[in-house]
Amino acid sequence: MSEAKVVELYPDIAEAPRYSCALAGAYVTALAVNHTAPILHSGAGCGIGQQFGMNYAGGMNAAGRHGNTSTPCSCLVEEHVVFGGEEKLRDLIASTLKVVKADLFAVISGCVPSLIGDDVAAVVKEFKDQTNIIHVHTAGFLGNSYLGYDHFFAAVVDQLLTPLPKKKKLVNIFGLVPSQHIQWKGHLRVIKALLAKIGVEANILFTELDGLGALKQIPAAELNLVFSPWVGITVVEKLKEKFETPYEVIPFVPVGPQDTTSFLRQIGQLLHIPQKTVETVVKTEEWDAYNTAEYFGDLLVIGLPNAYFGVIADSGTAIGLTRYGTNEIGLLPELVIVSDNPPEESRENITRLLTEGLASSIKPKVIFETDSHKIKLILQKHTLQLLLASSLEKHLPRGDAGFLSVSFPSFDRLVLDRSYAGYRGGLAFMEDAGSQFCGPL
Amino acid sequence: MSNSEASEPIDLTTSSCPNREQRANGVNVFYGKATEMVATARAGKLKHQERAFQQTSGCILNFYLTVRVSTIRDAVMIVHAPVGCSSSALGYRELFKGIPKGLGGLPDEFEFHWLTTNLNERDVVYGAADKLKAAIHEAQNRYNPKAIFIMASCTSGVIGEDIDGVVADTQPEVSATIVPVHCEGTKSRLVQTGYDVFWHAVLKYLVKPARKKQPDLVNIASMLSYTWQDRMEITRLLGKVGLRVSFIPEFATIEQFEQLSEAAVTAPMCPSYTDYLSRGLEQEHNVPFFLYPSPIGIAHTDEWLRTIAKYTGKEKEVEALIAEEHVEWVPKLESIQKEFKELAPEGDKLDVLGSLGQGRLLTQTPFFNELGVKATAAIVQDFDNLVLDEMDKMIAETGDFDVLVNTFQAAEVAHIAKNRAPDIVLSCPFQGSAYKRDKGMTRIHALRGDPREWSTQAGYKGAVAAGNFLLQSTKNKSFQQTMKANTEETYTEWWFKKAKPVYLKEEAA
Repeated sequence: MSEAKVVELYPDIAEAPRYSCALAGAYVTALAVNHTAPILHSGAGCGIGQQFGMNYAGGMNAAGRHGNTSTPCSCLVEEHVVFGGEEKLRDLIASTLKVVKADLFAVISGCVPSLIGDDVAAVVKEFKDQTNIIHVHTAGFLGNSYLGYDHFFAAVVDQLLTPLPKKKKLVNIFGLVPSQHIQWKGHLRVIKALLAKIGVEANILFTELDGLGALKQIPAAELNLVFSPWVGITVVEKLKEKFETPYEVIPFVPVGPQDTTSFLRQIGQLLHIPQKTVETVVKTEEWDAYNTAEYFGDLLVIGLPNAYFGVIADSGTAIGLTRYGTNEIGLLPELVIVSDNPPEESRENITRLLTEGLASSIKPKVIFETDSHKIKLILQKHTLQLLLASSLEKHLPRGDAGFLSVSFPSFDRLVLDRSYAGYRGGLAFMEDAGSQFCGPL
Repeated sequence: MSNSEASEPIDLTTSSCPNREQRANGVNVFYGKATEMVATARAGKLKHQERAFQQTSGCILNFYLTVRVSTIRDAVMIVHAPVGCSSSALGYRELFKGIPKGLGGLPDEFEFHWLTTNLNERDVVYGAADKLKAAIHEAQNRYNPKAIFIMASCTSGVIGEDIDGVVADTQPEVSATIVPVHCEGTKSRLVQTGYDVFWHAVLKYLVKPARKKQPDLVNIASMLSYTWQDRMEITRLLGKVGLRVSFIPEFATIEQFEQLSEAAVTAPMCPSYTDYLSRGLEQEHNVPFFLYPSPIGIAHTDEWLRTIAKYTGKEKEVEALIAEEHVEWVPKLESIQKEFKELAPEGDKLDVLGSLGQGRLLTQTPFFNELGVKATAAIVQDFDNLVLDEMDKMIAETGDFDVLVNTFQAAEVAHIAKNRAPDIVLSCPFQGSAYKRDKGMTRIHALRGDPREWSTQAGYKGAVAAGNFLLQSTKNKSFQQTMKANTEETYTEWWFKKAKPVYLKEEAA
């Protein structure tokens, strides 16, 4: 067998793939729910490693009050591999309840307990009458951090939620994975504010003052929205099954006025919001966004007129930015590399969303790739004038192309509140992309 | 030279080294006086105590071998693990790219490469030896490196992967030297074991017998916590007396590893980090070493240079160098000392709490002394019997102090910071909420790729730069005060009222 064929047997061998493991995804998701303390049942490095691998990679964020080295961990070593880690976990949970302030404790089990067969669920159950506690059954080898997001919510749905009467015009927001979507905090705030304008209450789950309360309210929603072509769909399926909540997949976070307006109209129809209410908001917001966009005119025309641009990002971010750049500011979509390794069955739809409904006479080449070396080789075949990518591409030779990091990992920018979502998100994108071409004219 | 009672001879016929617990009776939990800790260790009575409450703190793979090994220039790192075990290395392409071109001899072009075998559910059931083999071939074909490092993981260990077997099978098929590093995370409680397993692999697979000695070459193992400017300062100082430095492992070439045997001496930046390599090079290749002091602070830089001079025959040149450097730097240090004195209460000194590695304990504490601040307590990642004589020397310089041994236990750090209330807490991203306070707070150090002169710590220039940033922390406390006033505390009142800053299993029972 030739060496090339040997490698094809193992397509998951990759240079610097753009995500961490399922435990990491579950961990950062738990951290995003305010007043939730994750408890890692794992090796000692599984939490701290994600400080570099998720929190810094997701826009140089510190980990908050319960993350990084503030996270309790059973720190499993050889003796636990031999004798089991359940006693260690039991002691850790008991001590954590005394030492750490939190409303919800999420025990997240990693590779070692899975491999040695610890009955983690049984240990967690012993504490159910003392506090709010769930067991997120995951492991690094089960998949990547996007899957870990689903694992966290699977635990929430199965172990924490009970039926509630439906509340009109309340929706839950799923599909944005903390850190993996580097603008997750800003996106969620924008989505919440946009929906509020048309009278819809969005439960964004993360960064809410009462995190546990937000989780518990999930069954009360009239509708679940998933802002991804693929992440979070198992969660809303589960919620449909258990609480009969319908869901709608909004495959990408809308960037700029056009797609934001379409989004609001879609929600208006789904939730039977009077058309007038929606159109009043649309009119005001569009006027404001386009009026401000006029101030971008000179820099755009001189600095990047009809620039050939490339996008390397997770599927949702890639679709949103490709559409905005192409349909609103006249850029030419040359290349899109989808870097979040979406499941095969979702790829045709993602490709369609990236190539249809574009204002340009050219359509982008769409490639699904997460191996950073292969991405480098693909880039060498394209001449670009603007590259929207991860910071892994920042220092690659790229000719004349301007560069902006928009996807995971982005170590080169601090992302706290920044968002390209919504009407004003287009303006934020103009500022960040346009600033790459600034200088005295 | 260190004459610690530790250390059996290094046995390179074994696939890996013993962990620090076995090799040096190492622990990462202790609270008491430094003298008591040293005496207990010397009596062989320092023992592990199980914590009831413990926090994530790094494993031997992920503190931070992944990051270090990924920056070896003509090598490829393969992490034989689930994908999350290498995510900390995702910054590999950027780590050294913030350095202006040419600064400190930064080459124009360099690339790093690493692969993950991305172990999945099928692999843990059926084994992944073939996958590892495929990854080695992939690394060879893609990058044509001089060496391929294979990093083991908890998962590869628990499922019983025969990494050495794969290496033996595959080595004849590839030109790169394959270097298996047995850094299974479950192997040790002490992240410092990670240093040793890496050096074991380097000594066993990469270091070649000396073709000819290079009497002007000094080996220095540099840590991630020393910056590009530190390398430049050390290169500058040794360059002035006609010596060259080989910094390993970060940003090194494989040729540098191969020639470690040819150097005149192995000198420390961090003794705990360098220990195993230094002993191995002496035992196998007759390269002498010393572990104390490190070139931190003016007095210790003097002594460090003098010690290197002994092994390189540069005594005269080094004395001239020291005299010349003192003219420039000592007055600057004196003005910092004067300012610290003015800031302190009459007849006293500002109290600084640092969280340090065992190595930095030995380097930083005397430096505080030199600056004219005091460290009445220190938080130390780990402690073992490798550095007992060095501890004695240091305590003789600084006097006794309290020690809390823990590896990044943020709750313990918060406890001791709050209850001791020192004037300045030296923080880092691994200290949790301890930075939220009314008094001073600043960073303990900058990191590897930081090219700013401000971030120098080593040598004469570093003594002044580090003194200055410590001084800066006394001039505005608004950030930590604002965060303390406006954000919530992670830990309970019960925790902060607890007498000792550790919560052991025996107490909880």
